[in-house]
Amino acid sequence: MTKACQKWRGDLLEVALTGATAKGLEEHLPACANCSEELSELRARKARLDALLPLVAQGTGPSADFRARVLAAAEAASEGKRARPWRLWTLAGVTAVILAALVIGATSYRRRARTVPADELAAAQILTEWRAPSDVLLANPGQEILRQMPRLGESYLHVPVKMPVKMPLKMNEEE
Amino acid sequence: MSALIARAEAHSPEAGFGERIAENQRRVFQIAFSILGNSADAEDVAQEAFLRAYQKFRSLREAEKFRAWVNRIVFRLALNRKRGYRRRLARDTAWQISETRTMVDGARDAEKQVMLDRLHREIERLPEKLRSVLQLSLVEEMGAADVGAVLGIPAGTVRSRVHTARKLLLEVMK
Ligand SMILES: [Zn+2]
Repeated sequence: MTKACQKWRGDLLEVALTGATAKGLEEHLPACANCSEELSELRARKARLDALLPLVAQGTGPSADFRARVLAAAEAASEGKRARPWRLWTLAGVTAVILAALVIGATSYRRRARTVPADELAAAQILTEWRAPSDVLLANPGQEILRQMPRLGESYLHVPVKMPVKMPLKMNEEE
Repeated sequence: MSALIARAEAHSPEAGFGERIAENQRRVFQIAFSILGNSADAEDVAQEAFLRAYQKFRSLREAEKFRAWVNRIVFRLALNRKRGYRRRLARDTAWQISETRTMVDGARDAEKQVMLDRLHREIERLPEKLRSVLQLSLVEEMGAADVGAVLGIPAGTVRSRVHTARKLLLEVMK
């Protein structure tokens, strides 16, 4: 296409596409081999395009079992939906029963705990008074003796011997 | 057996849904296919659209209402699927891209397939506004008013955009 014919470009496309006529082009075409050739090329291209364009959307179409599959999926989905409230109510019921059992159990346990038999109470009191065996040893008279014994590295001389005050006086009297 | 199913269907609150699928499935599939370019994805998206329609079937009993609603939903679902698909393609390697190119169905011979692949690429290059209008207009039974209803634009705008899109394609499809 020559530079002078560039201005007809848009009109040529329009004519090829719609079959309409463009003002001025009708006079130009018989005189210009380039534009005539271009128009017939565009018309052929338009025919190819028209044949191809529907294929862009058609594809193979939905498969034969499409409707059945959608119906089955819809049915499955709605069954799941119907089942859900049932499961919810069951869950709520079970929770309520468990809670009730817990409350009743706790109350009866507390009631029983308030009326402890006398012998059990006595045993419990004895238990609170219980002391470890070492506590008994410490309260023993032997403890005093242990304290008077010299420890490792000590001598008898350094051990503070606590003698009964009256003893020597008594001995003196006998002599 | 099928009579039993039909009777059960007639008594269920979703009676008539199967009929609606039959009336709309071809168009719904084509809307998805025009955007996605392969049958497996298109069928997936079409099924999803019908399942969503089923969930609100009580308000979509009327045939015209159902048709308009399902057209819109399948268009949106297909666009969403394509956006996810593009993100995956961007991550994947070149050989996977070339493989998806050959997934275009409907062409009878190799030469036609090559042309169709080129056409798909050129449509992808169109401005978004023109592309959606063209893709929806290529679907059977989708008039300018139907396309306009899906996109929320007047039928006149649909017609002029389709014309512009075809003109651009005619120029590039040498
Ligand atoms: Zn010329």
